[in-house]
Amino acid sequence: MSRSDHFDAIVAGGGHNGLTAACYMARAGMRVLVVEKNDWLGGAAVSRELHAGWTYSNCSYVCSLLRPEVVRDLDLPQHGLQVIPYTGGATFTRDGDYFAYHSDHRALEREIARLSPRDVEGYERFSIAVMRQCRFIRPLLLRTPPDPVAPRPRDVAELVYLLRRFHDLGPRETGEAMRFWTASVGDYLDGFIENPLIKAHLAGSGIIGTGLGVYSPGTAYVLLHHYMGDVDGAVGAWGFARGGMGAVSGALARAFRAAGGEVVTCSGVERILVENGRVTGVALANGDTYRAPVVASGMDVKRTFLGHVEAQHLPDDFLKAVRRFKIRGSSGKINIALDAMPRFPAAPEDASFLSGDLHVSESLAELERAYDDWSVGRWSAEPYVDMLIPSRIDPTMAPPGKHMMTVFVQYAPYDPERDGRRDPAHWDEAARTAFADAVLDRIERVSPGFRDLVLHAEVRTPVDLEREVGLTEGNIFQGELTFDQLLFNRPVPGYADYRTPVKGLYLVGSSAHPGGGVMAAPGANAAREILRDARRLDRTERAFRAA
Amino acid sequence: MAFDHNRRPRAVVIGAGVNGLAAAATLAARGVDVTVVERGRGPGGMMTGAGQGELGHFVWNLHPAALAELGLGAADLGLGAEVATVLLAADGRHVVIEGEAISFADGTPHPDAAAYRALRARLARFAAVLAPLATAAPPRLGSGMLNRAGLSDLAQLARTGLGLRRLPRDARREFLRVLLSNAADLVRDELPDGPLAASLVFDAILGGRAAPGAPGTVLALLWRHAGGGRRRPAGGMAALARRIAGAAEARGVTIRYDATAAGIEVEGDRVRGLRLGSGEVIAAEMVLSSLGAMPTLRLAGPAHFDAEACRRIRGLRCEGTTARLDLRLAEMPRIEGLDGRLAGARLLLAPSVAAIEAACRPVKYGAIPASPVAEVLIEPGDGGAEGPAHLSALVQHVPYAPECGWTEAAREALAAAVIGALGTHMPGLPGLVTESRLATPRDIETMTGAPGGHWHHAELAADQMLTLRPVNGMARYASSLPGLWFCGAGAHPGGDITGLPGRNAALAAAADLGQGVTR
Amino acid sequence: MNRIARETVSPRPRVPSREGLADTPFEPRLRALSTAEDWMDWSGCLSPRALGAVETEYFAIRNQATLFDVSPMHKYRVTGPDAERVVNRLVTRDVARLAPGRVAYVLWCDEDGMVIDDGTLFRLGPQDFRLCCQERQFAWLHDIAWGFDVAIADETGDVAGLALQGPTSHAVLEAAGLALPDLRPFGIAEPEPGLVISRTGFSGDLGYELWLRPEGALALWDRLWVAGADLGLRAIGFAALDIARIEAGFIMAGAEFQPIHRALRPSRGRTPFELGLGHLVDPGKPHFNGRRALLREAARTPRRQLVMLDIEGTKDASGALVYHRGRREAGHATSAVWAPTAKRNIAFAELDARAARSAGLRAEIYTLKEGRWERTMASATVIDRGVFRPPRARATPPGRF
Repeated sequence: MSRSDHFDAIVAGGGHNGLTAACYMARAGMRVLVVEKNDWLGGAAVSRELHAGWTYSNCSYVCSLLRPEVVRDLDLPQHGLQVIPYTGGATFTRDGDYFAYHSDHRALEREIARLSPRDVEGYERFSIAVMRQCRFIRPLLLRTPPDPVAPRPRDVAELVYLLRRFHDLGPRETGEAMRFWTASVGDYLDGFIENPLIKAHLAGSGIIGTGLGVYSPGTAYVLLHHYMGDVDGAVGAWGFARGGMGAVSGALARAFRAAGGEVVTCSGVERILVENGRVTGVALANGDTYRAPVVASGMDVKRTFLGHVEAQHLPDDFLKAVRRFKIRGSSGKINIALDAMPRFPAAPEDASFLSGDLHVSESLAELERAYDDWSVGRWSAEPYVDMLIPSRIDPTMAPPGKHMMTVFVQYAPYDPERDGRRDPAHWDEAARTAFADAVLDRIERVSPGFRDLVLHAEVRTPVDLEREVGLTEGNIFQGELTFDQLLFNRPVPGYADYRTPVKGLYLVGSSAHPGGGVMAAPGANAAREILRDARRLDRTERAFRAA
Repeated sequence: MAFDHNRRPRAVVIGAGVNGLAAAATLAARGVDVTVVERGRGPGGMMTGAGQGELGHFVWNLHPAALAELGLGAADLGLGAEVATVLLAADGRHVVIEGEAISFADGTPHPDAAAYRALRARLARFAAVLAPLATAAPPRLGSGMLNRAGLSDLAQLARTGLGLRRLPRDARREFLRVLLSNAADLVRDELPDGPLAASLVFDAILGGRAAPGAPGTVLALLWRHAGGGRRRPAGGMAALARRIAGAAEARGVTIRYDATAAGIEVEGDRVRGLRLGSGEVIAAEMVLSSLGAMPTLRLAGPAHFDAEACRRIRGLRCEGTTARLDLRLAEMPRIEGLDGRLAGARLLLAPSVAAIEAACRPVKYGAIPASPVAEVLIEPGDGGAEGPAHLSALVQHVPYAPECGWTEAAREALAAAVIGALGTHMPGLPGLVTESRLATPRDIETMTGAPGGHWHHAELAADQMLTLRPVNGMARYASSLPGLWFCGAGAHPGGDITGLPGRNAALAAAADLGQGVTR
Repeated sequence: MNRIARETVSPRPRVPSREGLADTPFEPRLRALSTAEDWMDWSGCLSPRALGAVETEYFAIRNQATLFDVSPMHKYRVTGPDAERVVNRLVTRDVARLAPGRVAYVLWCDEDGMVIDDGTLFRLGPQDFRLCCQERQFAWLHDIAWGFDVAIADETGDVAGLALQGPTSHAVLEAAGLALPDLRPFGIAEPEPGLVISRTGFSGDLGYELWLRPEGALALWDRLWVAGADLGLRAIGFAALDIARIEAGFIMAGAEFQPIHRALRPSRGRTPFELGLGHLVDPGKPHFNGRRALLREAARTPRRQLVMLDIEGTKDASGALVYHRGRREAGHATSAVWAPTAKRNIAFAELDARAARSAGLRAEIYTLKEGRWERTMASATVIDRGVFRPPRARATPPGRF
C-alpha cells in the first residue's frame, strides 16, 4: 500500500458538517481526506443547476444558524461565502387576507395592531421570552454536552457551568425555561398571542423538519432552534447564501483544499474498517481503500452504524440504542423555476416582505391537521409551506426578470400509506405528482396564475433526500429534536461527546449535539474533540518515545 | 400576626374529596381546628362525582403517607384483591393479565409476556427514583436554592439523585433519556403493537389530552406507576370515600355537607375565613382549597392576585377529555372464552397503540371520537335497582365542548360508539341495555366543580408539573394570598386518588402556621 | 390546545400594511416650521427632535412659552363601575384619594415590584380615567382588569395632545380666550366642550397640556399661535424638553429605568425605591400589582439608588461611569446635561446604594475634541433632584410672565 493511501483522518461524507470538521483538522496540521459518494460536495447544502440558467438550493435553503464562530475561524468569506440578509415575511390566508412580518419594528407593530391590537404587547412579550431562552441556550451550541451519568472531571466542570447558568436565572425564570423546554409551540403561543393567523405564522418554525405537530410538547424548543439566529439583533443572521446554499459548502471546500485537504468524490464509503476495536480506515464502493487512525463520519448515526460498520465491532446495547434512534422523514421540497415574479394580490406590489419567507396558513388547527395527515402516512392535504424567492435579492439565482422559488413542505411521509401498508416505494410518479399538485394548488390559491409561471419544478420527497443525500428516512436534522435525543442524549446516551464505541471513529454530522440545520456546530465541536484526542495521543507517543 | 394564642388555630378546607380530607386530617393531627366544607351531599369529590355515584373504578396509588395522616392502614380501606386486566383484542385473541401472569384468554402464554414484564419492571424502577419528589412540595430551582429554606429542597433533590445513583449506570442513562420522551415510542421499542403495548400506553394517557406520541407522556406514566395493582374498594368508591371521611372525622375534623363555598374573606391582605352560600362566615386563619386553581382564584377574587398570576392561571390547560358511560344491562354480557372472568375485571378497550393514537385525534378539533378507547368495568347487580348487571366505561378523548355542542344527538352518538365497539366483543350487548347514562366532561364539571371536568383538575403534562403546577410561582401550595393554599389535584403531584396534594399542602400550611404562632 | 377547535380568521378591512413612521395631527404645522429637519421616532410617530436651534428652543421653555406635540403618547381610557378599583390595582399610589378633575403622576409595577412604566393619570370623572404613558399598555390594562367590570379603550389615535410650557404659557391661554386663572397644578378644566386642559407638563415650569379630538388639532394650534405671537411662543422639539426635564429632575422611561416588559435581562428591572420614588408607593391601600414584592423590597436596603449628581466642570457626562473611593466602579450616568438656566453640570446616575450615600465620587467623562477623545475624571456630588423648580410653576393664579 502506498503512502498516498494513508491519512491522519478520513471524513466520510462531504456535507457541511463533514467539511467543517475536515477544515479544522486540516488547519491543525492533519492530513485529511474527505470521501463523498456524489460527484459534488455539500450534502444537503448544495446549489445545482437543474434547469438551464436557474440555480436551485435543492435541499437546505436559508442560512440562519451557521455559527459565526465557524465562519470566522475558517475565513469562509475569504473563500467565497457571502450571506445576504433577507427581511420580513408573510402568511397568506385563503380568504385573501395576510399577516406581514416586517423587519421594521414600527411597521410590525402596526401590522399586528391591524389584526389584533392587544397582540402587539403579546408579541413583544413572546419575543423577549424566546430571546431570553436563546441567550441561555446559545452558548451551549458550541460546547460538548457533559455526561451527567458517569462524569469525568471536565464533565463536572461543564455540569457546574450549566447549573450556574440556571442559578443565575432565578426561580421564576428557571420555571419559565422548563416550561419553554417542555411546552408545545401551540400552547406556548396561546399564552402570548390571541390572533390565530399571527400564531400560525410564528408556529411554523416549531415544526419545520420534525415529526411533531404544533401541539406536540417539545416543539417550543424547536422554535428556538430557528430563532437562534435572531438573538441580540445580530444583523444579517438570517439570509440567503449568495449563489445558493452550495456557496456554504463551496467555501468550506475551498478552505479545506487551501489547508491542504484532499477530496475523493463519486464513490462513497462502503465500509468503515475496524480492527481490534480501533478504526483503521475506509473501504470505498469503487474498491479503493484508505487508511487512517481517525475516521469522522458525517453520515447520520443510523447510516453510519447500521450500514457501514460491521455489527461485530459494536456492543449490543449501543446497536439497540442506534436502532431505536428516531429519525423520521417529515418534509418535502419543491424547487421551482418561475417565468416571472408571482403575484400575491393580498400584498401591496413590491412589498419588501415578499423577499422573505412566505406561507399559506390559517390557524394552528390547520397546521395540526397537516400533522395528523402525516401521522397516518399521508402528505398533508393542506401542508405548511415555507416559500422563498431568493432571486429577488440574489441576482445569481435566475436570469434577469425570472425567479427561483424554493418551497419547503411540511409534512410529507417517508413511507406513504396505501391499502393499509406503508412503504417508501409508494412514492411512485403518480404519488409525486399528486403531492406536488397539493402544494402548487395551495400556492395558486393565494397567488392566482402561479401555476402558469412554472417553467420547471423539482419535487423532492423524503425518499429522494435519503437516496441522494443519504439522510436516513430523509430526516433533515439527522434525527428528531426531542428531549430524548438532545444534549447528553444525542445521539446515544453516553456517546454525546462525538466519540463512539469504536476508537478513532467519531460522529461529526447533525445526529450529534446540537443537531440539525446548516449550523456547522456538530462538525466544529467534533473536530475539537478529535484534536483533543490527537494531542493526548501525541503526548502519550512522545512520552513513550522518551522512555 | 395577630393570632389568639389561647385558642387552636382554625382552618377551613374546601372540598371533601380525597385531597381535602387528607389535608384536613393532616392539619387536625397537628392541633388545628379544621372544618371541611363540601358542596355535595357526601364525601369523595371526583371519586364519587361529589357523592352522586362514582367516576373512577379503581384505586392503585393512594399513598401510604397520606393514609398515615388519616390514621388508616391499607387494610382499613376495604380494598379487594388486585383485579385482573382483560385486554380486548381486535382479532378476538383477548389477553388476560393477572399479576405477573400474562396469557391469552384460552390460556396459551403470550409471546411478549417477558418483554412486557421487563418493561414494567424498568418503569417501576424509574418510578421509584421519582417517588421522593411526590411526597413534598416541588423543589425550588434557581437562586432560591442557596438559602436556608432551600436546603430542604436540596435534600429532596439529593434523595432523588441518590435513587438515581442506586440504579446501574446503563439504567441511569436510560432514565435520563426516557424521562421526557413519549410513551408510544418507549413501548413500541420493546413490544410489537397490540393490546399489550396499548395497555401500558393507556396508563400514560388516561384522564389527559396528550396523544401517546406526545413527548412527556412517559413522565406521566412514571408518575402514576409508583403505586401497585388496581384494586376495587368493597362497596365501590362511595364506600371508600365514606371510610376516608370517617377517618378524618376520627381525627377531629368537622365535615359540613351541602355547604357551598361562596367567597374567601380577606382582610389586611390575609385570609380571615370562608363565606358560605348561606351567608354564614367561618372564621379561620387559613383556607385550603382542593378546587382547581381558577375556581379558587375566583372565590377569593382576582383583586387579591397580581395580574401575572391571574394570567398564568387563565392559561392553565384543564379541559377534561374523559367521559363516563353507565349502562344498566338486563343480564351479564358474555365474551367468548372469558366466561366467569368478566365480572369485576378491568377491561381495556384499546386494541393497539395506533388505535389510541387515532382515538386521540378528533378531540383536538372538538369532535366526538368514532372509535373511542375506554376502561370498562362490569359488575353483576344485586337484582335490585341496579338490574342484573352494570357496565361502566371511562371513555377517553371526549371533547369538553364539542363543535356541535352536547346535544342529545351528540350524547347518543358517543354512547353508540362505545356500545358498538364493545358489541364487537360482546355480541348482543346493544340489546341488553335497559338504561344508559352519560357524564361528559362538562357534566363532570357541573357535578364536581373540577375545572373542565378534568380528571387531574389540570392537564398532567410536563409543562404543568412539578414547579409549574398549578402555575409557576405557586407550586409550593401557597397561593400568593397569605393564608390561601392549594390542596387539590391541580397542585403537585397532581391527580388520581393519591391524597398527596392534600397531605403535602397541609404540611406546608402547618409549617407556616407554626411560624405565624411563634412569631 | 383548549382553543384549537374554535380558531377562525375573521375577515378584516384590507388595509395594506406600511413601513415608515406615522404622522400626528399637528404634522402639517410642525413640518412647515421645521428648519432643522431633525426628526425622530416617538412611539412610531414622526416627531421633531428639534425644529430649529435646540438652544433657542430650550430658552423659550424657560423664558417664554413653547408648543410641543405630545400626541404620540399612549392614551388609554378606563371607564365603568370598577374603574377606580382597576386603576388602583394598576398603580402604586392610592387612586381613591384622587378627586375627579385632578391628575396624578403614577408608576406601576410587575409582580416583582419592577417598574413597568410611569405616566400621568387623569381622573375625568368618578368612573372615568385616562392614563397617558410612554409604553404601550393596552394588553397589560386588560390583564389588570381581568375579572372586573370596566371598559378599556386605546385613545392614542383619537386624542391629540399639545404641551404648552413656559412662564408665559397662561398668558398665551388668556390671549387665546382660554384663561384658567383658578386651575391649580395637577388640575383639569374643560373651558370649551371637547377641549380638556390640564396644568401638567414635563418642563418643571408653569405649563399646561391640551387634549382634544384630532379634527380640532390644527385649529387649536393656529389659535394659540396667533395668541402667542407677542408672548414669544415657539414650537419645539424633544431635545430642548429633554434638557428642561433633567434640570427639573424628572426621570424618563428608557433612560433612568428600563421598562421591565421590554427588558431582555430580568436583572435590568428597577423598583420605585431604587428610583428614589418610594413615596409614590402606598402600602396602606388594597392589593395592587407587585404590592407584596414591594413590601419585601421596602423592608430591605435597595441595592442601587438613582440620584442626581452635580459634576465639576462643564463637560457633558452622558454615559459616564461613576467611581467612588478612587477606582471602585459605583455606577453610571443615565442622562446628563449642562443645565443652562441653573448653570450646573448635572446628571441622573444609578449608583450602588452605598456609593450613593458617600462622598468622593468621580465621573469618568469622555469628550471628543477635534478628532481626539479626551478623558476627564470630574468630582461629583449627590444633590437633591431638580436644580430648577421656580415658584412661578406652582403659583395660582399664574403670573403673566
